[in-house]
Amino acid sequence: MKEKSVKEACGKVFFAVCAVLCIVAAAAIFLFIVIKSVPALQATGLGKFLLGQTWAPDANDVYGQPISGSYGILPMLTGTLTATVCALLVGGTLGFFTAVFLAYYCKGKIKTVFSSVINLLAGVPSVIFGFFGIKVLMPLFNVFSPNGNSSGLLLTSVILGMMIFPTVASLSKTALEAVPAAYYEGALALGATRDQAVFRTVVPAARSGVTAAMILGVGRALGETMAVVMVAGNSPQYPHGLFSSFRTLTANIVLEMGYAGEVQMGALFATGGVLLAFVAFTVILLSLVTSDKKNKGQRRKKRGEFLFGRRLCSAGKVFGVASALFALAFLCALIVYLLVMGLPHFSVGLLFGDYQYGQQVSIWPSVAATLMTVGISLVIALPLGICAAVFLSEYAGSKNPLVRIIRSAIDILSGVPSIVYGLFGAITFVKLLGGSYSIAAGSLTVSVMLLPTVIRATEESLRAVPMALREGALALGAGKLRTIFTVVLPSALPGIVAAAILSVGRVMSESAPFMFTMGSSLQPMPEGAMSGGTTLAVALYYLSGENLYTDEAFACACVLMLIVLALNVAAEAAGRALQKKFQGEKNASRRNKRAQSKSLLRRFSRAQEH
Amino acid sequence: MRKANLYYGDFHALKSIDIEIPAQKVTAFIGPSGCGKTTLLKCFNRMNDLVPECKLTGEFLIGGEDIYKSKDVTGLRKRVGMVFQKPNPFPMSIYDNVAYGPRVFGIKKRAQLDEIIERSLRQAAMWEELKDRLNRSALGLSGGQQQRLCIARALATQPGVLLMDEPTSALDPGSTAKIEELMSELKKVTTVVIVTHNMQQAARISDNTGFFLLGELVEYGQTEQIFSAPAKEETQRYISGRFG
Repeated sequence: MKEKSVKEACGKVFFAVCAVLCIVAAAAIFLFIVIKSVPALQATGLGKFLLGQTWAPDANDVYGQPISGSYGILPMLTGTLTATVCALLVGGTLGFFTAVFLAYYCKGKIKTVFSSVINLLAGVPSVIFGFFGIKVLMPLFNVFSPNGNSSGLLLTSVILGMMIFPTVASLSKTALEAVPAAYYEGALALGATRDQAVFRTVVPAARSGVTAAMILGVGRALGETMAVVMVAGNSPQYPHGLFSSFRTLTANIVLEMGYAGEVQMGALFATGGVLLAFVAFTVILLSLVTSDKKNKGQRRKKRGEFLFGRRLCSAGKVFGVASALFALAFLCALIVYLLVMGLPHFSVGLLFGDYQYGQQVSIWPSVAATLMTVGISLVIALPLGICAAVFLSEYAGSKNPLVRIIRSAIDILSGVPSIVYGLFGAITFVKLLGGSYSIAAGSLTVSVMLLPTVIRATEESLRAVPMALREGALALGAGKLRTIFTVVLPSALPGIVAAAILSVGRVMSESAPFMFTMGSSLQPMPEGAMSGGTTLAVALYYLSGENLYTDEAFACACVLMLIVLALNVAAEAAGRALQKKFQGEKNASRRNKRAQSKSLLRRFSRAQEH
Repeated sequence: MRKANLYYGDFHALKSIDIEIPAQKVTAFIGPSGCGKTTLLKCFNRMNDLVPECKLTGEFLIGGEDIYKSKDVTGLRKRVGMVFQKPNPFPMSIYDNVAYGPRVFGIKKRAQLDEIIERSLRQAAMWEELKDRLNRSALGLSGGQQQRLCIARALATQPGVLLMDEPTSALDPGSTAKIEELMSELKKVTTVVIVTHNMQQAARISDNTGFFLLGELVEYGQTEQIFSAPAKEETQRYISGRFG
């Protein structure tokens, strides 16, 4: 008996340790980035760094000697913020109206289709967005550009907007659907049209949720790297107009990390630090928005009435339909275009051949590297994440201060831009593993990044397990650990599988964290976990950067796209299986009841005949 | 049980309950919603331990032993089985559902388990209908079958006491009849304590009845006496359906 309680206590501590690792990871990221950037800030001066007008680094600058380059990030800071605001205008508006349409104007199959469209768009790798931008949108926009080259603010905003669109849409949809049906019905009962009921009553009531969705969208736009690098033009200057080339903070890191001098490197880390500050700011803002719901809703309701007159409400509906259709069209265009351009270039040599420098490009080594990365990172992130989720859902009381800290650490981890994970991995895991780029280092980096994804998805599915099952097991004398392992976790299995599949998709589609941990140029077949490699997404970035390999790039994009889409579809199916598992139970009993009541009726009628 | 007091935070849920439950009989607790019947029931197998801020005073004796003095909660739950309001079969096979309890207590041999499962299912009067599909998922059963399976699952550890928390409130009349029939069989092997909202049910199946109101035990005695000649006015009014 005593053994048992020791075992239980050990279990609890073990789960808690896994959860606390999230705090450690978040703290470590902040700490390492700060440590690395302090000397650079000392050399340049904080004011000159943040408010300096020119970025002209000198790779020969070293600490302790006067520096000759200038390290001002104000133009890029401005660029990042401008691009984010513009992206929010595009993606936020589209996302919001699509959400309204999905939540209140469509039903049944159409709703399922559009919801999957949004989920699929969310899964599209950012390099593919960038690639699509270069190949399709850029030639299109070039027509309007005064200098014939459209890479710059407009193109970036459109691409970024489409990237944050799914985030905003799906979260706003959840917020809108959470509004009690009574509000909507009440408005209708007072004689409001359907459009008025939606835009005047439901939307203001869902305000805080929609705002939260926008903030998360902003977070994503701030941290996006690869797609931006591909379409922004990247000269370190202020964005002057819609078609002027500019550079964001994230792009700055990717572009210069590879060959940076000592001070320059420090300045790049400091750039990462600025990004982290933005993340911390959005996380705080988010918690503020979601906590004081009531006040805000009431204060703003009046303005809502001014905003949406009857005609405007109807226009809103039309806009909702239009943006949903636009999203569908965009996704279809993306898929069809890549298939049409990529499939004809599939060849045995390209897909499965050996890579020979300068002679034959093959994505086979990349496929191998991708698989290795996926394998290693899942082996690390899944058990850790699941145990942390078990702690949060089965052991933690919501009032415990430790739990609160863990939750905010998870929020921060999920908000940290992937390029900052790359920086973090470069100075921790790469150094730890001997100083050269390796698949192992890349996998470790990305597994930290996966933690919040795994934890959230697992926790959600654990919470979906009915309390009654836990009680049933406990009432039979099972201990808590046994209950968790024999009843709770098996019941939540489909949800956990979905989390795993989503993680695979995430690893496949990320590229920024791998650039400085695994290497970024095409390489022959990796010999083991300690050799460098490029995942498919990084390979696509590399191939699309050089105009020599356009066909190969298309084929590569096509392969990547197909795999990621398949994974997302699989994850959705697994999620649905979880729902069915518990709903099926209800339906079955209902069906049986109906059958039984019928047979009872028959018996009664027979009895009466007698 | 003597002078049991129970608090949820500041809320005084059970007030000085003093009750003696005879072995091998069916005892029913009746009373309006929120009067503490279920809370009291959960005290017998310490399911209230799961609720934070739940405090308990007084003694709970089962067979002369105070169950709150010992630390062996799982051992207690082996001796005191429980069936819940809604059927809660685990999402696994029928066999594994019934075998869950014995496995918790370290029985691993297949032959021994087979024996236990046959015995428990027979006691729950469902061996004949289920013996050919023990490996099917328990979720495929009907609501009434699921509830009887949960009873079989609780019986598998051979408990001395079986607690039933409104076991038929989520079921149709046909299944209810089967379970009531079952209960009168069950008292041959175990002591049954049942919480119910259905007074006819209490009258039909129980030997003793306790009437609760606002956390107090108003009246307790033989079922016939309570239903034919209640001593207290509140009881009279409740069983004749004037409030509750």
